[in-house]
Amino acid sequence: MDPIILGIAVVNGVIVGGLYGAIALGLSLIFGVMRVINFAHGSFLMLGLFIPFWLWKLFGVNPYLAAVVAAPALFGIGYLIQATIIAPLFKRERAMVLEPLSVLLLTAGVGIMLDNLALMTVGPDFRGITMEFAAKALWIGTVLNINYTRLIAFLVSLAITVAMSLFLARTDLGRAIRSTAQNRDAAALCGINVPRVYNITFGLGCAILGIVGCVMIPFYLVSPAVGLAFGIRSFIVVVLGGIGSIPGSILGGLILGVVESVTAQFVTATSASIFSFVIFILVLFFRPTGLMGMKV
Amino acid sequence: MRRMLFVIGLSVVALVLSSGLALAGEKVDEVKIGGVLSLSGMAANQGTQTKTGAIIAADEINAKGGIPALGGAKIKLFFGDSQSKPDVGASETERIIQRENVSVLFGAYQSAVTTVTTEVAERYKTPWLVTGSVADIITQRGFKYTFRPNNKAIYDAREQLDAIKGLTQETGKGPKSIGILVEGTDWGKSHATNLRKLAKDMGYEIVLDEAYSPGTMDFSAQILKIKSRKPEALVIAMYTPDHIVFTKQTYEGKLDIPFGIHSVGAGSEDPNFYKAVPVQAVEYMFVQEDFQIDITEVADWTKPIDKKFREMLGYELTSYGAQGYSAIYTIYDVLQRAGSVDKEKIREAFTKTNIVSGPALIMGWQKIAFDQDGQNLDAHGVISQNLKGKRTSIWPLANRPKGIKPVWPIPAWKDR
Repeated sequence: MDPIILGIAVVNGVIVGGLYGAIALGLSLIFGVMRVINFAHGSFLMLGLFIPFWLWKLFGVNPYLAAVVAAPALFGIGYLIQATIIAPLFKRERAMVLEPLSVLLLTAGVGIMLDNLALMTVGPDFRGITMEFAAKALWIGTVLNINYTRLIAFLVSLAITVAMSLFLARTDLGRAIRSTAQNRDAAALCGINVPRVYNITFGLGCAILGIVGCVMIPFYLVSPAVGLAFGIRSFIVVVLGGIGSIPGSILGGLILGVVESVTAQFVTATSASIFSFVIFILVLFFRPTGLMGMKV
Repeated sequence: MRRMLFVIGLSVVALVLSSGLALAGEKVDEVKIGGVLSLSGMAANQGTQTKTGAIIAADEINAKGGIPALGGAKIKLFFGDSQSKPDVGASETERIIQRENVSVLFGAYQSAVTTVTTEVAERYKTPWLVTGSVADIITQRGFKYTFRPNNKAIYDAREQLDAIKGLTQETGKGPKSIGILVEGTDWGKSHATNLRKLAKDMGYEIVLDEAYSPGTMDFSAQILKIKSRKPEALVIAMYTPDHIVFTKQTYEGKLDIPFGIHSVGAGSEDPNFYKAVPVQAVEYMFVQEDFQIDITEVADWTKPIDKKFREMLGYELTSYGAQGYSAIYTIYDVLQRAGSVDKEKIREAFTKTNIVSGPALIMGWQKIAFDQDGQNLDAHGVISQNLKGKRTSIWPLANRPKGIKPVWPIPAWKDR
């Protein structure tokens, strides 16, 4: 195997892996704090892709600028869904611990509902934006080229991860979220409004998807059906990296991206996914909390 | 005892009455035709175009007074959406057959879906006219109710390789190796299988043989592999969304393939694809067209159909629109000879089909007739090359317009 080709494959894998990590970030956060397995995660990403698309289609708004609309919009949608649909389930369960199965079914239902609402309103077709500079690439030497829009997506993903870590570590709200994740009863005793923290966490997890959607739409076609594939990938990333761990999410994403990209050079791309799932199973087997996960 | 006899008698009467309704007479008000197509999902564009072509044809026939042999019966179309998925296509087929009691069905564009829906139709003894699906297996199962007017996958593959060989002979230069990149469902995989068989016989080395999962949105890995294996010609089979992403990425990555990219249709026959990619990205690309793309220039009678199509969808008549149109006129011809809406009589009439003129030949074929497997042996396509933004027929030589010279080999990106 030509080392240059291998090198390029690794670079491609890192670029796409960073994106996977950012997408999975919200999922990791939501589960870490609330023990909610959000099966609707992919569907929220689908919304996060549609908002910049429609803003571009109807008003000609540059997708990168659309983030100022998409992120708050998705925060709002996430907050609302958590507050109105999932929170009642919390109230019914004693000690605010949810039966894994019931919340899983609930979020899966939300996901199906969102997918089909989208299908009903906009139809099934794949839609993409056309941007002049979307077809340009950064060339390193004569063989390695990285598409600018994908590079930007990667850099934004890293930025989101760093921003999230800083937010959780340094701000009061971030600390409140972390303490709720550690022990919700103790947090409540300290005067933290736990239900509000849950709502905000869910909203944040979805807001990230709003930003990610804006940087993805320049090179990714959106349709109501794209939610599922991303939902599944996010789960692999979260399990690999560790639930509740922010750096773990990026690490998991990078591992997944690189493994897929490198193995695709040796076997067909369809078979390459097998390796990702094999690693997934091995990690679950030997280190169920993930590479950097906290003990559940 | 008496009560039981009464109930039995009542059931017998009911049975006789209902069967009487099923036995169609010579004069009926309408003939029900079902169409199962991908109206949503990854093949939505092509399915919608087929549906539009069918509607145009049915409206034309109904406006002229319906079907004479059935006493002026009007065509009533019932559409089912396969959502580009075989299982949904199968359940839609069943629904339309049972609920609407159609006499004949057509569709479903995608090979993966048609393979399954024709099985359902066969079980219900309902004739099925294939539109657009090329997987060889569809007419290789000994089915009695499946009829395909269009190419088999092996014809598509043969036409592509014949064009490559022909251009090689014409110019003295040609590829020694071929790369194959196909979408991973029935259509792509059957095309790859046929290419492998034929390429081996014709002496080409296959240096890349890849299928990708449907829904792939990033071809960096595959393009990297192409750059490392260096095939001298690349054959691809892609639906619209993947074709858009792939073509954009080959343009960004300045992928050089000495004897060109040969796309076997679907995405590259969809106007929505050409709207979404820069025109430089598709320059010199070869497309195996299912129909003569310049038919509206050579046959005046197609102009009003093209106009209607543009009104309904906003772009010119495509191969898929023509397939839908042709399907309805083929069924019209069959119904005329069957003189009945009974499915068995229709099936009989299908086997005796011999259309050598008329609107059903809008695809550019010379004849529609079905062999004992239901395959039209006279189906064929045309290979085009994209020259200065226009897809121009270049193979077979008989279809190449005067004064047109194909570009062969393909200039590298730095020389364009």
